[in-house]
Amino acid sequence: MHAERKNTIIRMFNVSKRYGKMEALSNLSLEVRKNEFIFVTGPSGAGKSTMIKLLYKGESASSGAILVDGMNLARISRKQIPMLRRQFGVIFQDFKLIPTKTVFQNVALVLAVAGLKPKEIYPRVMDVLERVGIDDRAEEFPPVLSGGEKQRVAVARAMVGGPKIVLADEPTGSLDPDSAAHIFQLLRAVHEAGATVIVATHDQQMINNHDGRVVRLEKGRMAREN
Amino acid sequence: MLIFAAKRALTDIVNNKFLHIVSIVTIALSVFIVSAFSLFFNNATDFLDAWRTGVRVIAYVGANVTEPQRTRLEETIRNLNGVSVVEFISKDDAFNDLKQKIGQQSSLLDGLDKNPLPDSFEITLTDSYRRLEDIEKLSQSIGGLPYVEDVEYAQKWLHRFNGIYNLFKVTGLVLVSIFFIATLLIIANTIRLIMYSRREEIEIMRIIGADEEFIKYPLFLEAVAQGFLGGVAGILMLYLAFILTVPNLAPETVFSFFEIRFISVKFSLTIVLCSMMIGWVGCFFSIRKFLKL
Repeated sequence: MHAERKNTIIRMFNVSKRYGKMEALSNLSLEVRKNEFIFVTGPSGAGKSTMIKLLYKGESASSGAILVDGMNLARISRKQIPMLRRQFGVIFQDFKLIPTKTVFQNVALVLAVAGLKPKEIYPRVMDVLERVGIDDRAEEFPPVLSGGEKQRVAVARAMVGGPKIVLADEPTGSLDPDSAAHIFQLLRAVHEAGATVIVATHDQQMINNHDGRVVRLEKGRMAREN
Repeated sequence: MLIFAAKRALTDIVNNKFLHIVSIVTIALSVFIVSAFSLFFNNATDFLDAWRTGVRVIAYVGANVTEPQRTRLEETIRNLNGVSVVEFISKDDAFNDLKQKIGQQSSLLDGLDKNPLPDSFEITLTDSYRRLEDIEKLSQSIGGLPYVEDVEYAQKWLHRFNGIYNLFKVTGLVLVSIFFIATLLIIANTIRLIMYSRREEIEIMRIIGADEEFIKYPLFLEAVAQGFLGGVAGILMLYLAFILTVPNLAPETVFSFFEIRFISVKFSLTIVLCSMMIGWVGCFFSIRKFLKL
């Protein structure tokens, strides 16, 4: 039991999130082990994105407790939030790349934020860009890239800091099947490298084709877990 | 940290050229208006001061005053506070002076039986005694002395100029304050506009773990740099307008005692410094809204 607890990286106890009268998450409890690969699925409005936001403290839970690597998110101060977020790599459906920065600069920002020096940043960014296969476009700006390329940059940004947890919110939602498959391979590689990966998706085919625990949400509640 | 923030600020300025140029031009125009008014105000003040330097008090002496009485009176006036120089003008000197001044019409004076002008003292005041109240007080003291029949000191003109001077002062302060507040609001709103256009970028930076300092420092540096560039551009615009306009005004041909001067280097630096501070303050107020968790 003790060993199992030690192996847990995320714990959610009766977590609820309300926006006014609307309840986006209701009494959700979940434990995620280190280096686990989890799909969070469910229809639109089920609470998948809200759950992801609560984990990196993009939002705060209305009630319940969330522990990430031993840190109680309800108790951390404002100043500690950046440190918490540096443990995550987050990927979004709409990529969230800064259009006025080059591919290299977008990825390098994660390391600059963590306080690394430019000479340490360069090789690490180029290495990760090479791994996602976009190193030849390092000096391009995001608006000229295709959707698949943008998402590869987003994956590179999520990978470059060597995060403990990677959160992906509908990472393949706006991609063609080939690009989606490529992104999924990259997420697998991140998982194999030791990270815990949580993917929120409603792409049933993708879930069926890959191994991983599946958590199904419906109307903000846990509907099924297998 | 600061060097890195400066590099990021510079990159941001290059990447968001248009917004920054708009902001710098806005600041430059505001600085131009404020400093143009200061230029006018400074010169108007200098002009009034220079004009007042020429003010003399004339004390007319009674007709039957003897030489020793007059000497005593001169000594008494000289010892009064605020008196710098006392010059005796005899009635004959005054008459000759008048003759010279009216030139060709001086023959009109030949018909007079006797010289109607009185003896007088022309009194120059010390530099610290040039305020209207001081001049009035001194004139009253002199007027109260024995053997003095009348005192004159261009009362009408001095009152009028004093009114104009005070109006300048009040208007100047009010206008500079209004422009200062307007500049602050313009800059705060321009920065807010820049921040608004970058809200997504700020949100992304926060998601990847940037702390507030990491986000704020470049923005503050950018705002201060905008203030600096806008301030310098505003002063340069004013200087350009000054060298193109002032030679055509040639005020020295009308007023020999006065020359229009550009605002001093110290004042220019103060304006640039204020402009940078306004940039900082504008950024401070804009940033608070965007960095709230």
